[in-house]
Amino acid sequence: MVIKVIQIILSPVLALVVGVFFLGLARKIMARIHWRYGPPLIQPVIDMIRLFYQKSVSHGRMFDLGIVLSLAGSIVVILFLPFGQMCPLSSSGGLLVILYIMLLAPLGLALSAGQGANPNISIGISRKLILSLGYEVPLLLVLLAVMTHYKTISIVEVVNVQQSTGWSIIYWPLFLPGISYFLILPAILGIRPFDVSSAPQEISSGPMVEYGGKYLALATIEHAFVLFISIALFVNLFLAGAANPIIFFAKMLVVFVLVLCVNAVFPRFRIEQAIKYLWKWPTLLAFVGLIITLIVK
Amino acid sequence: MMSLEILLIIAFGGALLTYALGKISHRLRDSFAVIISLALVVIIACLYGKSLEKTFYFGFLGLGLVLRLNMLSWLFAITIAVVGTLSIIFSLSYIKGREKTSFYFLEMALVNAAMLGIVLAGDLLSFYIFWEIMSWSAFLLISYNKGPALAAGMKYIIMSIIGSVCFLVGMLSLYVSFDTLNISQIASAVTSASSGYILFILIAFSIAFGIKNAVLPFHTWLPDAHSEAPAPFSAVLSGILIKMGTYGFLLILYVIVGLKLFLGLGSGIFSFHSVLCLLGAVTIIIPTFIAMLQTDAKRLLAWSTVGQAGYIILGIAFGTNLALAAGLFHFFNHALFKALLFLAIGAVEFRAQTRDLDSLGGLAKKMPVVFIATLVGICALIGVPLTNGFVSKWLIYKSLILEGSPFLAFFALVGTWGAILYSYKLIHNIFLGQLPEKYRDIQKSPLSMQLPMIVLSLAILLFGILPGIPLKVINAIGISFGFESLNVTLWGVTSETGALNTINIFSAVLAAGIIVWIIFRLGAKSVSVAQDDSYAAGAYTPKDKYHYTVEFYNPLYRMIKPFLRDVIDGFYYWIASSVQKLSNSVRRVYAGDVGYYVMYIILFLALLIFVQLKWKPW
Repeated sequence: MVIKVIQIILSPVLALVVGVFFLGLARKIMARIHWRYGPPLIQPVIDMIRLFYQKSVSHGRMFDLGIVLSLAGSIVVILFLPFGQMCPLSSSGGLLVILYIMLLAPLGLALSAGQGANPNISIGISRKLILSLGYEVPLLLVLLAVMTHYKTISIVEVVNVQQSTGWSIIYWPLFLPGISYFLILPAILGIRPFDVSSAPQEISSGPMVEYGGKYLALATIEHAFVLFISIALFVNLFLAGAANPIIFFAKMLVVFVLVLCVNAVFPRFRIEQAIKYLWKWPTLLAFVGLIITLIVK
Repeated sequence: MMSLEILLIIAFGGALLTYALGKISHRLRDSFAVIISLALVVIIACLYGKSLEKTFYFGFLGLGLVLRLNMLSWLFAITIAVVGTLSIIFSLSYIKGREKTSFYFLEMALVNAAMLGIVLAGDLLSFYIFWEIMSWSAFLLISYNKGPALAAGMKYIIMSIIGSVCFLVGMLSLYVSFDTLNISQIASAVTSASSGYILFILIAFSIAFGIKNAVLPFHTWLPDAHSEAPAPFSAVLSGILIKMGTYGFLLILYVIVGLKLFLGLGSGIFSFHSVLCLLGAVTIIIPTFIAMLQTDAKRLLAWSTVGQAGYIILGIAFGTNLALAAGLFHFFNHALFKALLFLAIGAVEFRAQTRDLDSLGGLAKKMPVVFIATLVGICALIGVPLTNGFVSKWLIYKSLILEGSPFLAFFALVGTWGAILYSYKLIHNIFLGQLPEKYRDIQKSPLSMQLPMIVLSLAILLFGILPGIPLKVINAIGISFGFESLNVTLWGVTSETGALNTINIFSAVLAAGIIVWIIFRLGAKSVSVAQDDSYAAGAYTPKDKYHYTVEFYNPLYRMIKPFLRDVIDGFYYWIASSVQKLSNSVRRVYAGDVGYYVMYIILFLALLIFVQLKWKPW
């Protein structure tokens, strides 16, 4: 019981530290790829603390509540996500529940930003929702392939089976879904080539445009959590999770650096191009993978 | 001890008396209508858990008219009574000042009474009688607004009649074969029938109920009817009236034909059961994409209704205990949240005089209650955790995945992600963004409109956090159909293959929310600013509507529009126009001129004489 309570408190904190570290690392690595020096690793922390004490504007009650809901949603997802042998609330519905609680974050953000009454926001959200429909199609096929293959909807069980039988991504029926997940990971994270919804040069960072001060600080934390959740899900489902948090974070780091390389060298898709891409190759791979898992079973 | 015929007498008598009272005083009529519908809720609630069967009339063609009550009919009856009552309360101010209000209340009460009759009917004949009363009253209500509503009503009633004819064919065939129309007697006799005959019966009834339940390809009446009907009746229509089709499916599949026969019909993908599942899946996916492209709020919700009805059909047709529970639970949830959404849109329309998603905006600050109600409604529609929609969808996905039908699960899941798009469009275009100048002095909704919305919102949250309450009833229905019992707790469902525990989710969300809120409060204070005080890169921000709602999903629209032509509707219209042409040419025969008729008679006589002379048949 005591261990459980400690885990519940510890896991969001760990996720926050790792997520923010990733944000700092991302700027550093991107800078190096672009032949720049880049800001120090703790720059996001400095920014957040500064923003937290800066004045900000609010556009109404929903503007405040939405961002709180969004962040709370992300924290809850982390409680349901196993990393290392830590999983505080694993026994409450498994992968499907995670999938659904993952909705709270974008929904809260969309509601909050929506009240901002700025065309940049509406365009950004419209693009974000279309993009999410784009990547959910292959993502759902991938998750279904995994759940069908392991005959369970519990993510803890998926991790446990992999611990004894090996990583799913090198197990041939799940190889294609694994690749497909990796291909859509930039879209889930909203980074290039899929940063249509936040496109700073086009629509002034889209949904973020009205955020300042503590709103922006919370939105940045939220972004760090999303980074953590999406990559942790990949590590859990395809790279066998890990026996302890250290190895888990090491695996996450490798995946993250790979995704960053994609981010650093590709230009932005237009939204139609993004959907066409997402509904072509990743969907095809995931679809074939799902059929293979059905046959092999 | 309340017997069932008294219940129906109150329902029908109350309806007629409401009309009569309307001739005396409108105020008296309003309160009487509310009291009668509340009384029905109380009576039905008191009948919980009872099992009754009674023949109340024998004279009709020597057939017994039977009323019976069991868990299945109780669940439907209580939903009908509650949604009916709330929509009547909502109507009080919605319909005030319009013409023929007494007639409106009569029809509303009559539809509810007829639906109660349907779910309480113990034989197919009384089922059919109540079914027709419901169809025709609904027709009159759909056409209440005149104008385009007349065409919508016509479309509805024509498709309804086709359904009724199919029902009649099935019913007469059952009577000829088994010499009874009593449902329980048919159910015991049907086990000896050949599988070909059962298939015929199933198809006949499936067309009848599929039209009412708007299963693809019989859905074309629904979008027109739902968007043109008065808002409180749209809530009834979408919440419960189309669910009479669901009830019919349950009746024919599980009560009459029975679980074993139904699942054993045909083999592989060609079995009746998988075809029905596939229809359910298609019914989820296509309307969801069509809904995203609508600009009329009620039409958007109407297409969403078609899609959500697909989940119910999929759950029922899949035929495992979890899936059936999911289908039934989703029926119940959909009745609550879709009624809520239609009422909310009705409240907006009542004040803003429009439901055009392109011209509204920013109403959240002016109509906070309606906004929150819509928010709860769309959360339940999407299936956000802690609303009731989440539990039923979780059950559907779980049963589909674990029974090895990932593609059906895929359809269901994509339907949900599509629902996010159209739900967000709905709430964003009406309530968020900038408030147009013309709505600056818009009033709050009257209390009689707010009250039903508050009740429904609370119910959605209650059954989302404590799903065990309705699941207990649903589990009893499953057991009566011959399924294994589910392990229902107050917080969800437990089983070896993964449990659901809403209390964990609830407390986690609550705790996380409070912590984040405290952190949020600790930060530097924010200043509230006017809506036009927004960042526009130094450019001037106009006072009037300045956010992007028109063609909200334009990039997606351009991509999927070529694939979404409504071929089916076009096909029906082609049939209709061909029939019309044919009838027109037949009509020419009746020229209305006596000379022509004399000529016809003479020609006919000449033909007879010719035939007699030539072949001498007489």
